[in-house]
This record gives sequence, structure tokens and C-alpha cells, in this order.
Amino acid sequence: MKKKSCSMVLLLLLLVFISGCSNLAMSSTDSDKIKLDYWTLFGGGDAEFMKEIVQKFNNTHPDIHVNYIQLPFDDYYTKLVTGIAAGKAPDVAVSHISRLPQLIELGVVSSLNPDAQKQGLQWDKFNQNILDASVINGKHYAIPIDTHPIAFYYNKEYLRKAGLLNDQGKPIIEETPEGFVNFLNKLKKELPQDIAPFSFATTGIDPYRLWWSFYHQLGADGVLSDDLSSVDLEMDKAVKAANYMKDLYYKHKVIPLHITDFYRTFQSGKAATLITGVWSTGIWEGTDDLEFGVVPVPAIFGEKAVFGNSHTLFLPKNENVDKEKRKAAFTFASFVAENGQIWAEAGHIPAKQTVYEKEAFQELPYRSQYVQIADHVAFQKPSVANGTIETILTRNLDTVLNGSKSAEKAFKTAEQEIKELLQNSLLTPDE
Amino acid sequence: MKGKAMSGNVKAIPFLLPFFIIYVMFTVYPIFKGLQMSFYDWSIIQKMEFVGLENYIKMFQDPDFWSSLWNTTLFTILSTPTMIILALVLALMANTKTKLRGFYRGAYFLPSILSVSVISYIAIFFLQPYTGFLNSFLHMFGIQKEFFWLAEPTLAWVSIVGVTLWWTVGFNMILFLAALQDIPDFLYESADIDGATAWQKFRYITFPQLIPIGRVILLLQILASYKVFAQILLITGGGPGTTTRPLIQYIYQAGFEKFNLGYAATMSYALFFILLILSLIQLKSQSDDQGVI
Repeated sequence: MKKKSCSMVLLLLLLVFISGCSNLAMSSTDSDKIKLDYWTLFGGGDAEFMKEIVQKFNNTHPDIHVNYIQLPFDDYYTKLVTGIAAGKAPDVAVSHISRLPQLIELGVVSSLNPDAQKQGLQWDKFNQNILDASVINGKHYAIPIDTHPIAFYYNKEYLRKAGLLNDQGKPIIEETPEGFVNFLNKLKKELPQDIAPFSFATTGIDPYRLWWSFYHQLGADGVLSDDLSSVDLEMDKAVKAANYMKDLYYKHKVIPLHITDFYRTFQSGKAATLITGVWSTGIWEGTDDLEFGVVPVPAIFGEKAVFGNSHTLFLPKNENVDKEKRKAAFTFASFVAENGQIWAEAGHIPAKQTVYEKEAFQELPYRSQYVQIADHVAFQKPSVANGTIETILTRNLDTVLNGSKSAEKAFKTAEQEIKELLQNSLLTPDE
Repeated sequence: MKGKAMSGNVKAIPFLLPFFIIYVMFTVYPIFKGLQMSFYDWSIIQKMEFVGLENYIKMFQDPDFWSSLWNTTLFTILSTPTMIILALVLALMANTKTKLRGFYRGAYFLPSILSVSVISYIAIFFLQPYTGFLNSFLHMFGIQKEFFWLAEPTLAWVSIVGVTLWWTVGFNMILFLAALQDIPDFLYESADIDGATAWQKFRYITFPQLIPIGRVILLLQILASYKVFAQILLITGGGPGTTTRPLIQYIYQAGFEKFNLGYAATMSYALFFILLILSLIQLKSQSDDQGVI
């Protein structure tokens, strides 16, 4: 009998424990401050500068506290969407401009038009090219804070040695397809054998970004039709861009094949040049003994287009909106855009043009060399399928650059895959 | 007597309950939920529409499904026999009566205790071109060719199977070793008296005695191989292109990158049926032979 009651007590304890769990989560510390959860996907230097902005905001806004929550980049969107689906939406969140349409289609983004009007945000202070990419169906859904295109970085020491650096410290490149190859060939000839003329990945997202730039320099406009309903891959241009890149590895041999970490190759002085996102500027600045320079990616095929994306802040939809909270969230999002000079320290180009006039921004080295790229970024068209389209193009370009498929075949496959993707009922707007 | 057993059962409940609740919530319930999802057009944000068997029809017509299923099967075909033979050889070595016995056992089993992310990063450092250990080692012996172990389709498979072998063979070895030590000594002694050679002893004593555990290992190995995912994702990411993408990675991509959970659930059920059939075949053949051994 005693034993039985003992087990009953245990059972009771268990029940108390289980119900206690939910109470724990509910309780919060008492405070009058408006608390905002802010989800980001930043890492490395980016995260540090974003934290600095959040701190500045918290210090200057005594009635609001922003809680900076950093999620891993790799599955950020998975976590964001599942979080919102589970009713754990943050108050402010980061999204790439290319991912906004999908989030809007999933119904998790709220329009900012009423907030902007109420709180007097002037959209015309933003760079028009970036802003256009964030407007979907004529509505503002997010505040862009930057654009981060790719740029051309070079090791000044090596370029000088090869006689390819002019008096202003800029590389001497004739902006034609042959001119760029000649430039790299000359580096190869003049530099020691173990210095790569051009450090670059063979597969993955980086070659895709360069391909996207060349494809648009050739005059193409995205891979979808303007109404986003069908695939419109301009085959000749896609193939031409890919084959040009392939020759850099195999024919001219100016890029070593399959470098595992091409950042490190450049950083440790084992390469003369590299092309990657402007976010790396902060990394090179923090490297001792690296005398580097940066210019926009050479417009070798004519048009000045270049790959780029943009970070934006949006306010997730919330069933029971607290007006004060919403207002605070919008204030915070505008604040981040306004303080682009801190964000620019990471290397990004601020989206708000008023930032360019700030002294703190002008004092930063290098950034002024590439601010003008913001006008030439070729954004993806606002399709719900952007993320997957990027994956498809990357994967198929991989097969060209690793030498296993011809460019014609690879892009035929890509075209077919995108076509099937667009037919997928989940990803196309309701008919 | 009966009453006592009953009270024993009652007492067991509070101890079983915590696990049982969690097990039902996170294992049993999702199994049935998954079946339901496979009949719906189910995005991650409640946007459901009953589509009947449409997901299944789509699956049979989806070349990506078949190619990733083939990749998983290829991995199983490549890894299972090598895994078993190597485990057996290692177990025999670890069972010899030498001073190095303890070292053998430790060295072969050690990688198994590492987590998948650790072994994957070790593998990447080991296999990367220009600076990786393996290529530098080959250069030392005058082989100047630069091998791209992770970037060429054939070599990528060799690398993945090799890494998996190094990582998990220790567990199978332990199973074989335990079985080896269970073989009674008198069998060998009488064989010695009969003048049997080492090979004859292996062929007629050791090998038959190891068949039951061999079956278990075969079953476990096939099931484990069909579930291959993490090390491929971390080492090659399914690349180059999609040449090493296993089925589970494709399921993950469908569910959490394209947010098409209904279709992901459908393919999970396909994998479930494949595993179920394989297990049944194995169990059947095992019970058929029961009388012989």
C-alpha cells in the first residue's frame, strides 16, 4: 500500500513538472520597455557591426529594447518560415531582397505603406535601383539597408610587380573579354609559379554570381519572363558567359582548379586577384601585410551589370498586433537603414543615399571606390522561386565548370528544371 | 499473484510515462502525420489542399527522385560488402594473440566515437587539393598529378565510401570480435588434432560460426546505408552537381528548401517501404535457415 502511494506521488510530481514547463515559458520579467525580437542571418564581421547598431539603438531609445537573435545562415529561411508558422514570429527580421517574394507569397510579410506614411519615412532617400527591387505589386514590404554586389579585389604588390598598376593604384585592364584574359595571362607570366593569377572557386555560389554578372553584361535580363510565369533563359548569352569562365580554368589556366578556400589563398598572399562580395572588404582590412585594392567587376562584355543582393528588414505578420510594438519595430528598421555608415564598415553599400554624405562614411577607405556599383546591380526579378532558381543555376553551372557537361547541355537542363519548378502549384501564385 | 503483477505494472507507469509521452509525440505521431501529409499539397505555412495520390504519381515521374534513389542504392552497393569484409578482416587481426591486440582494437574503433561533423571536416582537410594531406603524401612519392577527391564524380564516391568505411567499420568489427570470442576453443583444439590447416580452420569453423552475426551486420548495414545523409551533405554537399546527392538530402531539399512538405513526406514513405521490404526479405531468409545453424 505504501509503495502504491509512493508511485502516485511520483505521478503527481510528473504532472506538476509538465504543467510547470509551460508556466516557465510564459513568465517574463517586469519592465515597461517595449521588447522587440530581431532575427538575423549574419555571421563574422557582419554580426559585430549589426550588434553595434542594435546597441546604439538601445542606448538612444530608452523605452525600447531590441533583442538581437542571430541564427545560422545556412538554414535561416527554413527556421524563419517554420518559426513564423509555429506562431513564434520575431518583430523584425532580415531577408534578402531576392527572398522577399517567397515570404510574401507564404503570407508572412506585412505591407509597410501605412507605417511609412504615419511615421514619415521618405522612400526617395533610398537608392532607386535597390528600392525598386523591394517593391512588389506596387507595395513596400521591406526597408532595404544595403546592397552587397561582388567586386574585383587585387593585391597591389603583385600588380605593381607585373606592371599592371597605374598611378592611382588601379589595375590596368582593357575592359573586353580578351583584355581581361590578357591581364590575367600577364600576371601568370610575371609572377612566381606558386602565385595564382586569379583565386576563385570552381563550383558553388561564387562562380554563379560571376556568371550572373557576365550574363547581364551581355545584355540579358534575368532568367524569367517579365510576368514571372515562364522561363526566359537567353541561351546564347548564358552559354557564352559560362564558356568564357570555363576557359579561364582549363584553357588559359589562370585559376587553379577546385581551390577549397579561395578566400584564404588571396588572404595569405598566394593569389593576385579575386572576385567576391563586398562584405569581404572588412576581412582584407583586418589582414596584416595585405596591400589590396578594390574596383567594380570589369564590364568586359559591354553593359555595366553585376550580381548583387540586398539585405532588407521586414515586419512579420502578426495576428494580434500591438500598435505600440509595431511602431517601435518600424522605428528600429528605419534606424538601421539610417545608420548605414556603421553597416558600411562591414563592406556593404548602404541603401540610403543620405548616408553617403555623412562624414563617418566618407572617412571609410575603399567604400567610395565602389558605391557607384549600387546603380548597376542586376537583381533577380521578384519571383517566389528565386531561391530555388539560384540553386538550379548554380548546380548546373557546376557541371560545366567541373568539365563534366557542355554549357549547352547544362543550361538546357537548367531551363527544363526551372520550367518544372514554375509549374509546381505551391510556388506559383493562386490562379 | 496476479494482483502483485498488476501493482508492479502500475508502479512502472510513472517511470515509463516521461519517455512514452515523448516517444508518442515525436516518433509515433509524426509517422501517421507524415502519411496524412503525403496526400496533401502541404506547404510549411498552413496552405493545404487534398490531392489524393498526386504526390505519388509525381514521384514516379520525377527523374531527380530516381537519380537520388540510385545514388543511395549505389552507396549501399559499394559500402555494404566492403564494410563487412573489412570488418571481418580487422576483427580477425584484432583477435590474434599479439602484443598489438589492444592497439588494434582501440585504433579501429576510435573513429566511431567521433561525431559526423568532426569526421567530415577531418575528411575535407585530408582530401582537399593543393594542401590536403593525401595529395601532399602522393606528391612526396613523386605522383605529381593533382587529384580532386571531392570534385570529380567517381573520386567523390570513392572518398565518401572510404570515409564512411573508416568512420563506422569499427562498430561492425566489435560485433564480429564478440562472435569470434564466443567460438568455443575445443573446436579448434580438435581441428588441430585432426591436423587441419589455418585456412581449413577458418573455412570450416570460424566462418560458419560467424554467419549468424554476419546476417545481423548485413541487415544493420543495409538499413544504415540507405539512411546515408549527413556525411555526404557535409563533405560534398551532394555535388559535384547532384552526382552524390542521396535520397534523404533530396527529401530535405523538397521539404525545407522548397517548402513542399507533402512531397517530402511522400518520398519519405517510399524510402520507408524500401527499407521495410529489405528487412522482410532478410528476416524471412533468416528464419528459413534457422534449423540449419
